[in-house]
Amino acid sequence: MQYQIVIAGFGGQGVVFLVKVLAICAGNRNIAFLGTENHGMSQRGGSVSCDIKIGDFTNPVIDKNQADLMVALEQNEGLRNLPFLKLDGTLVTNAKDKDKYPKLPFKGFAKIDAFKKAENGEFPIQGLNVYMLGFALINDETFPFSVQEVKDAITQMNAKVAEQNIIILDQAMKDAQEIK
Amino acid sequence: MKQTLMGNDAIAWGLIHANVDMVSGYPGTPSSEILTEVQKIRNRLNLDVYAEWGTNEKVGFEVAYAGAIAGKRTCATMKQVGLNVASDPLMSASYIGNLGGFLLIAADDPGFHSSQTEQDSRVFAKFARIPVLDPATPQDAYDLTKYGVELSEEFQIPVMLRPVMRVCHAREIIEMDAETNFLPNKGEFQRNVPRWGAVPRKDRFPQGKEQLKRMDTIAQYNWDNLLKPEFDKCKGSKTLIIAGGTGYGFALETLRDLNLEADVVKVLMPYPLPTELMREKFKAYDKVLVVEEPYPCIEEQIAAPNVYGKNTNSIHKIDEMSKEELLKAFQTIGLYEGENIYATPPSLDFEVEPRPPALCPGCPHRDVYYAITKVFKKKKAIYPSDIGCYTLALAQGAIDSILCMGASISMASGFSISDPDKTVVATIGDGTFFHSGIPPLLNAIYQDHKFILVILDNSTTAMTGRQTTAAREKKSIDIKKIVEGMGVDCMEHQYSYEMQDNVDFFRKVKDVHKTATGPTVVVVREFCILDRERAPEFVPGIFAKVDAELCVACDQCTTIYKCPPMSYNYDGVIEIDPFLCAGCGGCLDVVCPTDAFVQDEDYLKRGN
Repeated sequence: MQYQIVIAGFGGQGVVFLVKVLAICAGNRNIAFLGTENHGMSQRGGSVSCDIKIGDFTNPVIDKNQADLMVALEQNEGLRNLPFLKLDGTLVTNAKDKDKYPKLPFKGFAKIDAFKKAENGEFPIQGLNVYMLGFALINDETFPFSVQEVKDAITQMNAKVAEQNIIILDQAMKDAQEIK
Repeated sequence: MKQTLMGNDAIAWGLIHANVDMVSGYPGTPSSEILTEVQKIRNRLNLDVYAEWGTNEKVGFEVAYAGAIAGKRTCATMKQVGLNVASDPLMSASYIGNLGGFLLIAADDPGFHSSQTEQDSRVFAKFARIPVLDPATPQDAYDLTKYGVELSEEFQIPVMLRPVMRVCHAREIIEMDAETNFLPNKGEFQRNVPRWGAVPRKDRFPQGKEQLKRMDTIAQYNWDNLLKPEFDKCKGSKTLIIAGGTGYGFALETLRDLNLEADVVKVLMPYPLPTELMREKFKAYDKVLVVEEPYPCIEEQIAAPNVYGKNTNSIHKIDEMSKEELLKAFQTIGLYEGENIYATPPSLDFEVEPRPPALCPGCPHRDVYYAITKVFKKKKAIYPSDIGCYTLALAQGAIDSILCMGASISMASGFSISDPDKTVVATIGDGTFFHSGIPPLLNAIYQDHKFILVILDNSTTAMTGRQTTAAREKKSIDIKKIVEGMGVDCMEHQYSYEMQDNVDFFRKVKDVHKTATGPTVVVVREFCILDRERAPEFVPGIFAKVDAELCVACDQCTTIYKCPPMSYNYDGVIEIDPFLCAGCGGCLDVVCPTDAFVQDEDYLKRGN
């Protein structure tokens, strides 16, 4: 298997957390992977994009026109990173309903106004990263890991908050099914 | 044993598995997690390991290096610009050497992600005449850490490990030792004045000759153990790629993506190289392409008529490695004639507003800089500053110059002499003040340089991940006392979320400065909003919202105050993003000329 995923967002949104979860998923199945993370300067609210390449790879960076999936935790950060996504890849993005979102040529595309849902109290904003991962699980038909594998990885990541994270993941998947 | 690790964590494990029991250094992205991870492993396994931050890289280097002279296996960690600070001891250490293994880790940052320069530490190793190891992946980083410590002990000379950011912050499954049988060397200093006393010239000259001989020996060692096995694997293609560090992984993937054939030789030790043995091998190839980053370190050593690289303009010379740049290099040397598969389709080239890093919502630095620019008007002031989170106050127009750690103070001296009509207001953080701010302040005091120095004391090295500072660890160390000990007063101010307090304080500073004959030194006691230990006692939990009727879209808050939750909405009125507001209350007073920021009483009730 070879599957390249870009996670785009800004500092404080928990982008690195998602890379770690996907890394654990791959590790649990003993599939090789290489990921690269943003630390330091970029934490201060600036753009953050992390890559994870699952399968047989020798460098951790995803080049332009190569990613199979991009999960964007904020719409502009998604748009900024579009060049990395293959045309037959899938874009899953958090995007405001009231903004006009451009028409994009990707094979797979799904968007949701996750900020509004958090504002309405449907899930806590700290769980936005997990919410968008759940949304991606339903909308990316070629996602390399099962729901159970993702839940196991979330539990391994941090058992203390796993229960709440899994509730958010389930909620996101339910919301995604309803939109679909 | 298999374990999923980030590169820096892998290096930390490598150190423990190499029986290194003294680690010192100074934080700096992308190197910082190495020492912190050693501390975590030490605590978890209850090992007797010294792993502490030095006050700067030079201090960190020297502490660890002395340990290796005394026979222990030791390590100093830093980022590439930190090595500039530690370069003085390095140059001498490479003559004198060590008894126990001494690994110097200098993490490079090709692409300037978190650094002011893109300098190549491998070139520094070559300059100092010490061997350098260049890992391509976290696995390499683990293996080469152990290898480097052994190599250092065998040849009694410092060895450098040079991981780049894409190794430090890469994550993969590592195969590492299953058992940790930690058996550090015993430290026992042996007097040997001719060796350990670096004075000219009698004993230095023979050490210099030994140094040259040693590099020849290690170059041969490099061939026998690392390079020859790589050349033996070659299949006789027309093109040879000499790949250093991450260049190896990028080259393999690009060749595969483009269905190209070439022999690839991985260079794990880019200096010293057995140059003649390598050139002999090049004769079998039409072309040899060197892939390395960021400087042409390998290329310059092995230059030959059929060797291509940065110096022949065949591959990019600046910025980090990418497969697109490699594809272009393959086109340039005639290996590839197809299309650019890494190009952005034109339909996807969106103009998106940049989102640069900013001071966190609720960060006291923002308010202090706001007050400084309010009291010391831009037209009549010069604002030299320094390296740390507060550098981000550039966005507030509150900083005029940044050079390197500690330079704010010495440059304030220079500006005060060269442009005496302006008020020079320098800013420096507590960590940077301890790192290299004390000598320039002493200089300014004894020479009566008239400027204002504001020391922003948040009691942590915030930018690199909130490592502890000297004063945080030991309460008896106090900036105010240090300044007073140098013979001048130190004005003290506790940061207040009520902006008027901060403005009033700087008005007082201005008055004192008027009649001063030397530097006016100020310490502002702050906190870091991300500091879970200290922040809660300071943050008032006063959340803000905008009274849309009062906002006149004057841009004051978006240009001078610059708090991330504030932005214009569709109606052209400022809005506060409730998810980002930290509840510091800093904007309620003074910041808005029409007082449009008001307390959001319902904030907590809305379930935030």
